[in-house]
Amino acid sequence: MLTFDNIVVAIQGATILRRVTFRIDAGQTVALIGRNGAGKTTVLRTVMGLIGPAGGRLGFEGRDITAMRADQRPGLGIGYAPEDRRLFSAFTVEENIRLPAEVARRPKAEIADTLDRIYSMIPELKEMARRPAGQVSGGQGKIVALGRALMLGTKIILLDEPFQGLAPILAARYGETLKALKATRPDISVLITESNPSLLKPFADRTLIIERGDLSEIMNDEPLVA
Amino acid sequence: MTSDLLLIAALDGIAYAALVFLVAVGLTLIFGVLRVLNIAHGSFYALGAYVAASLGIGIAASKISPWLSYPALAVAAAIVGIVVGSAIERLLLQRIYDKEEVLQLLVTFAAFMILDNAQRLIWGVQPYFVATPLQLLGNVQIGGITYTVYQIIVLPAVALLVLAGMRLFLRRTVSGRVILAVAEDREAARAIGINVPRVYLWTFVIGSILASLGGSLASPTTSILPGMGTDMLVLSFAVAASAGLGRIEGAAITALLIGLGRSAAVYWAPELDVLVPYLIMTLVLLVKPQGLFGTLQARRI
Ligand SMILES: Nc1ncnc2c1ncn2[C@@H]1O[C@H](COP(=O)(O)OP(=O)(O)OP(=O)(O)O)[C@@H](O)[C@H]1O
Ligand SMILES: [Mg+2]
Repeated sequence: MLTFDNIVVAIQGATILRRVTFRIDAGQTVALIGRNGAGKTTVLRTVMGLIGPAGGRLGFEGRDITAMRADQRPGLGIGYAPEDRRLFSAFTVEENIRLPAEVARRPKAEIADTLDRIYSMIPELKEMARRPAGQVSGGQGKIVALGRALMLGTKIILLDEPFQGLAPILAARYGETLKALKATRPDISVLITESNPSLLKPFADRTLIIERGDLSEIMNDEPLVA
Repeated sequence: MTSDLLLIAALDGIAYAALVFLVAVGLTLIFGVLRVLNIAHGSFYALGAYVAASLGIGIAASKISPWLSYPALAVAAAIVGIVVGSAIERLLLQRIYDKEEVLQLLVTFAAFMILDNAQRLIWGVQPYFVATPLQLLGNVQIGGITYTVYQIIVLPAVALLVLAGMRLFLRRTVSGRVILAVAEDREAARAIGINVPRVYLWTFVIGSILASLGGSLASPTTSILPGMGTDMLVLSFAVAASAGLGRIEGAAITALLIGLGRSAAVYWAPELDVLVPYLIMTLVLLVKPQGLFGTLQARRI
């Protein structure tokens, strides 16, 4: 459902992604592993259209979306939780989660339903709902960002280093939430980045490795080198 | 006698602050969202005044109800904000959002020069004075002082309505929240599906309407002259900077402060009249460089 076909990304003359090619099928959970600066975030930003590829083709559900405007992409069913959370501190946690659906002019009843579903999957979000987003901790913010990604992410969600900086208890909670998501919505694909490969082993159907902009796939039982 | 003078100065200050607030809040809104300091903002104030005066003259000449001159003030602001505002944003600003600040300042300064000359071309350099909206509503007595209803009730009421309306709009409507989201983080806004260029256009038009409204509301109270836009730009910049750029409620309070300060100077230290707003701004910025209501991690708007 998501295809990278020889995608090249360059920033200020430096090539960041080198003919990156891979495919994610519906319902798959894929881990994207790489060291700091390898290009993981760039892969996700390319999907969101926040950075334009210099070459190659980006496909989503059979459509070529390489040239599609960034603001039209979330409406396709793509949710994105950035590495640095990027919550809007002017709003409460709940307003942050709702905003993507409001921007997409989804009907009120549909927004309420989706919100209920997200709350039942991640109950701690309901407890934080009324708090200003600027006041939640970094770890809690990661969970809010996940909730927000689920608002429109009905086809695929992109999670950028969700475990980074999480205390062990929160990380375990986050992991449980991902498992709950896979159980309740097996149709949603998930692309998760991480620099530590062992963290994602319990979730990932497949593992992609990126190294200085070069992407390759490894078989799941191959030994991993961090 | 001195207490009378004090009261008059206070009333003058309030009436003037209402106008300054309208212009300053537009400037601060545009800066908070587009991150462009719009020098051409003063031109909208002047254009609003000129268009309102022309409409007023037309209404007087056509002998239809003079009460139409009130809606005409709003119509003038809307026309100028929508037509000129969207033209400037689409044709000029859109090309410079990711350029460096110096260039942005130069471009909006160029827009200001163009609009200033267009205005001289259309209306000439002779002063206009159309006081119908001021006269129709008559006067009120306030503590023995006679003052026009228009200046001491209508103008502050409009300013308060705009303040309350902006708050409601920004917090309670989706379009308002979208504007706040773009003001805080453009890229995060795009990533949740917000069409940022469209938000820029809307914000610029709203900000321009506010400046034009300041001008059209000011038109009955003053003679309309070339250069009036420049004075107001500088003043509204002083207000916006003292409040902290991007702060709406703060702009209301600093507008009042600067309005009162300026009218006090008019009566007691006329030679300082033009200086007072900058003295206040300099003092405020010396004590609080982020502005009275600004915070370090500037949460704009
Ligand atoms: N705006 C930019 N300007 C210049 N270089 C950039 C920019 N953004 C990213 N890069 C470079 O692109 C490369 C890939 O960056 P990217 O953020 O995708 O890495 P990452 O794998 O997500 O790293 P991390 O684990 O630190 O998050 C890095 O070498 C980085 O220096
Ligand atoms: Mg990264």
